[in-house]
Amino acid sequence: MRKALVVVTTVLLAVFVFQFVFAAVGAFTRPAGDGAYLLHSVTGMAIIPALCVLTVLFAVLARAPGRVVGMTVIPLGLVILQALIAMLANSFTDASGSSTTLSLIIGGLHAFNGIIAVHVVVGVLREAQKLPVPGSVLTGTTT
Amino acid sequence: MTTGSIIALDIVIAVLAAASWLAAGATAATTALSAAGVSEPADTADHGRAGTASRRRLAIGLAVVAVIAILARVVTTIVLIRAGWWFAAEKVLIAGPLALAALLVAGPRVVRWVKGGRPPVVALLFAGYAQTAAVLVTVLHGYPVSSAAVLLAFGGVGGATMVTWRLAGPPPGRAVSRAPVVVTVAVITAGLVLVVAQRPAPAVPHAHGSVAEPAVAEPTRRFTLTAGTATVRADGREIEAWAFNGQVPGPPLTATVGDVLEVTLRNRDIDRGVTLHWHGYDVPNSQDGVPGVTQAAVLPGEEFVYRFQADQAGTYWYHTHAVSDIGVRKGLYGALVVQPSGTQVRDPAARGTGIEVIVPVHTLDGRSLPEAVEDTADAGTPVRLRLINTDSTTHRYALTGAAFRVAAVDGVDLNRPSALLNTAVLIPAGGRYDLTFTAPATPVGLFVDGRVVWSTGPVAVPPQAWPVLDLLTYGGSVPNPLPRADREFTLVLDRGLDMHGFLPRYAHTVNGAADPDIAPQVVRSGESVVFTIVNRSLVVHPWHLHGHHVLVLSRDGERARGSPLLLDSFDVRPGEVWKVAFRADNPGMWANHCHNLAHADQGMILHLLYG
Repeated sequence: MRKALVVVTTVLLAVFVFQFVFAAVGAFTRPAGDGAYLLHSVTGMAIIPALCVLTVLFAVLARAPGRVVGMTVIPLGLVILQALIAMLANSFTDASGSSTTLSLIIGGLHAFNGIIAVHVVVGVLREAQKLPVPGSVLTGTTT
Repeated sequence: MTTGSIIALDIVIAVLAAASWLAAGATAATTALSAAGVSEPADTADHGRAGTASRRRLAIGLAVVAVIAILARVVTTIVLIRAGWWFAAEKVLIAGPLALAALLVAGPRVVRWVKGGRPPVVALLFAGYAQTAAVLVTVLHGYPVSSAAVLLAFGGVGGATMVTWRLAGPPPGRAVSRAPVVVTVAVITAGLVLVVAQRPAPAVPHAHGSVAEPAVAEPTRRFTLTAGTATVRADGREIEAWAFNGQVPGPPLTATVGDVLEVTLRNRDIDRGVTLHWHGYDVPNSQDGVPGVTQAAVLPGEEFVYRFQADQAGTYWYHTHAVSDIGVRKGLYGALVVQPSGTQVRDPAARGTGIEVIVPVHTLDGRSLPEAVEDTADAGTPVRLRLINTDSTTHRYALTGAAFRVAAVDGVDLNRPSALLNTAVLIPAGGRYDLTFTAPATPVGLFVDGRVVWSTGPVAVPPQAWPVLDLLTYGGSVPNPLPRADREFTLVLDRGLDMHGFLPRYAHTVNGAADPDIAPQVVRSGESVVFTIVNRSLVVHPWHLHGHHVLVLSRDGERARGSPLLLDSFDVRPGEVWKVAFRADNPGMWANHCHNLAHADQGMILHLLYG
């Protein structure tokens, strides 16, 4: 289970990296049509939350200490917050749907929160790698 | 501040409160661990103690921020109650008790910690969970407050707290821990049972007996519209579109009051089917073009003949109502213009006594239509610009170089419209405004969101700062006692979790339900019906009732003081409350929905029914 935790956290980190790429894809798609941010939305609202839940699950199954389990919950919370920030940014646009200073400031928090989430996932990965390998004591005595 | 921005601000504050409690709890946990000597090596003990002290200060500071945020939320909640109970119900009934519990549990323990007690990790995290649940209730199922939401929120907080207790706190005795576990599981189970049990019975049978409709005379105007995939050029690009007769927009249909229109719709290769809906034209129910309600969708190779009398003059449009979100977006729309009787049917491009220009604005695969046209207009020529917003979002229109009047809205003439200068107009999705003016000797330009679409010469982009016309105070009022309401409905627009078949979705909801679970509105023929439409979501909802124009009574409690407004498409912005009335004089089963077609697709559509 420790290995599963390490693997799923690594995958989560990789998907996070791609999520930044997909954001850039959305920003640079011309014309900025209907589906520019489709990859970013699907990844952010389906794949990443699912991986976050798996991370928590595997941390519990790996009998990681409470602190580590707590850390694995943080990315899930930040991802929910991330969707909320995107909604709020759109709600502060003007009557014809154009951005305003306030909507852009809130939109900026979307990037900021994303960076924080990546850092937390890196932290989770480090902790997962430090977890004791089950049976390692036994192997140590027999060799 | 508008109620809409208070709604958003309230969520921001609630998120801040939740994040502060949770961060305070997490920080307190690190001090607890280092106090227990878990993660600090012995040689850095001194350094660790200093770190512990600063982290303790940080955690206490975060808790103070959370308390301030909760107090701020009391203020926003009071403002929202004053705007209407719909906006604040769940904040008072669910978020209030949760915030109070957070304060009562975490507050005294933080004070004790300040005085040198143990770090209250579990209490702070409990406060964080309570506040998080409060945010989630607002965002996921705010109105109406349901006992299921209450149970799931309270049960969720209890469950998360117990898990935390196990992981972080001192292990409670077996007998002590069993009771709350049982209670929590019971509460969550009851909540889930209620979610399943409370799902409203499926709405009306979508097939209904057709109502007797007057026979229509022999057609005097015949058109054929063939829907098919096509490659069209827009903005110098080839775009794969869905088109009527190979063009986007479809051909403009013109008629004169008194004509009988016969429109043959054929589908060449649109696999998902097409129909024709006459947006704003109050046709008999059988001609309304809503698949599954007034007819079956026209599949490839099939055809359907629409026939109706043109008895309303004005600017309208037609579009498919089958998979309408995609269909209209991809190009299945066109203008319908009916001239008053006594005038000859004329081509909009034909120059008679005046100039008429149809401007159907649309966004086709990211390209803005129509392309800019430069026209000529001799000084003194009367000009009528028929503006149609065929997109799903509001557009901002500005006319430079001439004083103009808004002669008609949604096809209906306004009473004594005054001349406007340097004023922008916002047209909701699906809405139409007719702007009239006399051409001056100098150039005139029409701009949509800052992009010129029609002009009579070189013109500068009008400033964004122009004031926006408020129709509710525009034009001359008519002494007209309000009709007594025989029947009233309240529609609270929001977002929420909804089970669509077996898949959960984040739907756009009316009174907490999404299509097809929204109860139909049943009225009797001849009744005067009043809708109160409340938008407690974060986005604008352009409301569109089929088959009727509605008379605007008030917005946010302020009576409409200008020309009588008979609309078929109107923007209900976040935080707004509109009261509109109509006479049930066109029997049938009518779609009643948000004309942001993506929202309609995600649940925001219901039906009005009478025979």
